[in-house]
Amino acid sequence: MFMQIRLISFGFVLLVSWSCKPEADALRLLDELVVSTNYDTGADFGTYATYSIATDTIGFVSNAHPNDTIIVQSSQNTYPRVVLESVESNMDNLGYTRVEKDQNPDLRINVYVINDFNLFQQIVYPSYYYPSYYGYGYGYGSYYAYPYVNTYATNTGSLVVEILDLKNITPNNTVKVIWSAYMGDVYSTIDLIKQSKDAIDQAFVQSPYLGI
Amino acid sequence: MKIYLAILFIFSCLTVSAQESYFYLNWDVNVPMTNKDWIGNSSTRGAKAGYRHFIGDERKFAAGVDFNWSYYQEYKPTETFQNPGGAITTDYFNEIFQIGLVVSGQYHFPVGNREHFFPYAGLGLGANRNDYSVLYNIYQDQESKWGFLARPEAGILIRIGTRRKLGAMAAVHYDYSTAGSVNYDYNNFSNVGFQLGVMLMQW
Repeated sequence: MFMQIRLISFGFVLLVSWSCKPEADALRLLDELVVSTNYDTGADFGTYATYSIATDTIGFVSNAHPNDTIIVQSSQNTYPRVVLESVESNMDNLGYTRVEKDQNPDLRINVYVINDFNLFQQIVYPSYYYPSYYGYGYGYGSYYAYPYVNTYATNTGSLVVEILDLKNITPNNTVKVIWSAYMGDVYSTIDLIKQSKDAIDQAFVQSPYLGI
Repeated sequence: MKIYLAILFIFSCLTVSAQESYFYLNWDVNVPMTNKDWIGNSSTRGAKAGYRHFIGDERKFAAGVDFNWSYYQEYKPTETFQNPGGAITTDYFNEIFQIGLVVSGQYHFPVGNREHFFPYAGLGLGANRNDYSVLYNIYQDQESKWGFLARPEAGILIRIGTRRKLGAMAAVHYDYSTAGSVNYDYNNFSNVGFQLGVMLMQW
């Protein structure tokens, strides 16, 4: 009987191992960014002709690095220019003309990265009946007999492109965002540069109303 | 995992102590029958375990409890979803994780000398929980629902030898659950399952 119970137990463990919830294929999940676009349905994009955009800096908003507000193009970081040139190329293809910001553009394009850094801590209380064995070494087993802290960190972020309406600045000097694209997650990508360019292209593809 | 082991322990104890009963452990393959556009793939990741006790001396009627779980997953290639104020483009995985617990009764048809083959038909009634998830990039949307579960089932118990306590079990079951999902367009959830495994009998 004990042999049979052992057999059943072994089968049970085998079945549980096989039928436990498997993780989704991370390569498929992370090989392209999620592209979400929104626009002001009241905006008439046919009335705009010119835009301005930065040349080699993009914004950086982070809860972990409050002092870093921009990412500057450099030999170590080519990301800003790649992203900006991709946005510019798509705008030009739609028929808009890039001008300097002091040339009274109809639209302003802001590009920035939002970084959300989260830290989780969990206190683990080892139980008397189920000691939390940590591992073996030097011929003896070791386990925690006192509460300990597990620390987890997640670092996520989105690339954001916004189009601001400079042609219709309100009397109290506020500017309306008439189109935005959120692309993420830029911290878990397989190929950040390529995926960001593809995502920007897709943001414009799925926004045909932007065309003049 | 501790829950599963605890259930195994309880069933094992019951099997050892009770008379005219059996504990079974089966691999359970399920085919979804509802909203196959969302998930049409069969689930090979599932299991079913239970304890059943014979009522009376003729081994005709039995009653017990059955516990099951299954996991469905389907990959959806990149798609653009339009909404009134914009659009979203992504590829994604649809997933359903299902657990169920029913109280069941079976009628075993008398065949031959009633020592080796025990074909049966039965019905289980209980509750189940469905977790509907959409995974895209690092993000996840999920809706969990509890519902009523009805499960007609037909199968066969095969005793390998009269002196052995170990046998084989095969069955087909149809599950109807009210644990639907408004977000993912399920009024209910139903599936057909095929199970195969071992049983440990006590008689």
